[in-house]
Amino acid sequence: MSSVMPLQYARPRGAARVGVGGPVGSGKTALLEQLIPRFIARGTDIAVITNDLVTAEDAERIRRSGIIAPERVLAVETGACPHTAIREDPTLNLAAADELDRTWPGLELILVESGGDNLASSFSLDLVDYWLFVIDVAGGDDIPRKRGLGVLQCDLLVINKTDLAPFVRVDLARMTREAEEVRAGKPTLLTNCASGEGVDAVVDAIVRGVLFD
Amino acid sequence: MLRVTTILGCAADAALADRLHDIEHRGGLETVRLTRSDMARRRQQLRTDRGSTVALMLDRDATLQNGSVLWLDDDRAVVVLLDEPQWLVLQARTAADALELGYFAGNMHWKVRFDGERLCIALDGPRDTYLQRLAHLIQRGCVKVPDEAGPGAGSEPALPAAHGTVRYIPVPHAH
Repeated sequence: MSSVMPLQYARPRGAARVGVGGPVGSGKTALLEQLIPRFIARGTDIAVITNDLVTAEDAERIRRSGIIAPERVLAVETGACPHTAIREDPTLNLAAADELDRTWPGLELILVESGGDNLASSFSLDLVDYWLFVIDVAGGDDIPRKRGLGVLQCDLLVINKTDLAPFVRVDLARMTREAEEVRAGKPTLLTNCASGEGVDAVVDAIVRGVLFD
Repeated sequence: MLRVTTILGCAADAALADRLHDIEHRGGLETVRLTRSDMARRRQQLRTDRGSTVALMLDRDATLQNGSVLWLDDDRAVVVLLDEPQWLVLQARTAADALELGYFAGNMHWKVRFDGERLCIALDGPRDTYLQRLAHLIQRGCVKVPDEAGPGAGSEPALPAAHGTVRYIPVPHAH
């Protein structure tokens, strides 16, 4: 059968789509700023979609960063509940991702950053193939115990700002253990996106999850 | 690793059924079991019942279904089987309780089906997690979990203490 080929020959049409969600200020954009150069360094053809309420603030931040060609960054303004644009009606994000696929033949990976939301936000699998949920220690070490939809259902939970744990009196080991308990075996990783610590493991997880190379 | 970019068809298709039947008799049929939610994923790494790894990389308009054939050659075939969800069956005490239960389930984005006067919730995770979420309704006696709820029934977890009456924000889409 023509569609069944050895690993080195088969190539899908369209890029893998990976969602990055999480509460306001947890470090989603900072994680993107750490992920993008790593994927570019490993030769992954990449583009980005950011979601903001009524501005293109995050898109502009990434465009100005110099880490990726600005035309590879699209902004979606959700205007209302950010999770609506990634779950109930992801039409705008689907259109943006399709536009990137058309504009950049050979594109392999699109990172879709959601607008800052709450613990109940989640991604539709119509929009993404795999999604991360970013929380941070400064938001409180009780976040995993609250069993928010995002924490429970995401493919990869990222606990960011680990360097701040001592300053906000967070028991990081307990927070991690409780996250693993509520996630029933799904992975959790720790990062400090200010320094890049732990981000390589996030790249590896995305590669294993959807890129397979 | 088998890299699959196209669904070849359905195992029930006449054009495929005979070949699959023949391969099965020769011991070459492998299956992957997917939950209903994982059926929606176009890209994922799968493992067959015989340990083969499948890198699924489908087009965005492709749709997996029970019986999708992912691989077919002279000696081997890989077929998707839908892992039917486990259901948590709930019985509300009164119509008002049923309304509250329905509102809560909807607000949690749970997938449900109706079985007469019972509400069935498709479990997409540990059953205990759902029961803990429903603790306020169960402890007030508004909702019962019938014994025939399926695997795991009869081993109800210790529910967290209810802190008075749980209040909902009285608008849809409360988060």
